[in-house]
Amino acid sequence: MAAPAPIPIGETPLPTDEMELVRRAQKGNLEAYDQLVQRYQERIYATVYHMTSNHEDANDLAQEAFIKAFQALKSFKGGSTFYTWIYRIAVNKTLNYLKQRKNRFHMSLNDLDFNMENNPDLVALISDKTPRRDAGLKELQGKLNEALLKLSEHHRLVMVLHDVQGQSHEEIAEIMNCNIGTVRSRLFYARQQMQGWLADYLKST
Amino acid sequence: MSENENNFETLRQLLAHKRQETPPPGYFTDFSSQVAARIRQAEAQPQSAQEELFSQAPWLMRLLQNLELKPAFAGAFASALTLLLVLGIVYAERPDSQPDLVLESSTPSAGTFASAQSSAFAPALSTDFAASNSAVASLQPVASLFGSQSGLVQPVSFLPAGH
Repeated sequence: MAAPAPIPIGETPLPTDEMELVRRAQKGNLEAYDQLVQRYQERIYATVYHMTSNHEDANDLAQEAFIKAFQALKSFKGGSTFYTWIYRIAVNKTLNYLKQRKNRFHMSLNDLDFNMENNPDLVALISDKTPRRDAGLKELQGKLNEALLKLSEHHRLVMVLHDVQGQSHEEIAEIMNCNIGTVRSRLFYARQQMQGWLADYLKST
Repeated sequence: MSENENNFETLRQLLAHKRQETPPPGYFTDFSSQVAARIRQAEAQPQSAQEELFSQAPWLMRLLQNLELKPAFAGAFASALTLLLVLGIVYAERPDSQPDLVLESSTPSAGTFASAQSSAFAPALSTDFAASNSAVASLQPVASLFGSQSGLVQPVSFLPAGH
């Protein structure tokens, strides 16, 4: 059976419907896949970045996840949303990578948006009644990332997806292929751990 | 509990600010085109033997990944292999008395089978066939084939001519 001919760029307007884009990408249409990548690149990148705390690693892993997804696209039957499916690939890739990297502990904070230092909301969180109220926000960010990296991969993932990225318990359960109860208990445990590690920095109420 | 919740709320707010940690400006402009370029590059390159093997047998890749990532799994796998090897050696070095036992134990069952068969087909089969069938079924172990002091052996001596 002959491979489908690639559709020249600009000849057919791309649909906005995700499943149609997926169907076209499954037939080898890279332009359609490009649209899908653009839809999710920021969220996938952010998840991987918060899991690894390293821009270069996040860049490589996010790209590899999209490449792997394209190569495996024929196996996508639509049992879940494309968004969940691609997230699962990225998450598994990241978890595997983190297991391999376990002994290599490093962070790069060079990509932080340092305008945060002047963010009044963030300043208010640590400004008074904290033992380490003189600590700079940069130091706090460092401690926060350090504490995140101390969590196990699964606890960190739940915390990143829920507290950083704002995903629901249901979405996280689907991405991590576990039940909602597990997500809730992991989140509670992770918060408790983080709370303990950052007690000196967080404003007590 | 409510204090805990409040503390969690502070923590949650702090974590939410991590959303502002962004890659360098313009990073996402090229991201998808870089992905597309890498896909094209991967399609243009012929698969290496290793990649082809892994695409044919994805379980092998999973096994290797598990061996690499889970030390406990690697240990269990190695133990299982060692156990198999030891069992193989022990089995191979056992005294070779099994064939006789097998023959002896198989003889009655074969005989039973033959007798059952002969009785079942008795009206239809000729007596010659039944006889030959039971003869085959009642094979005796050939225990004296080698190394036996049989009386049939005749000593031979060569005397020079004229004696």
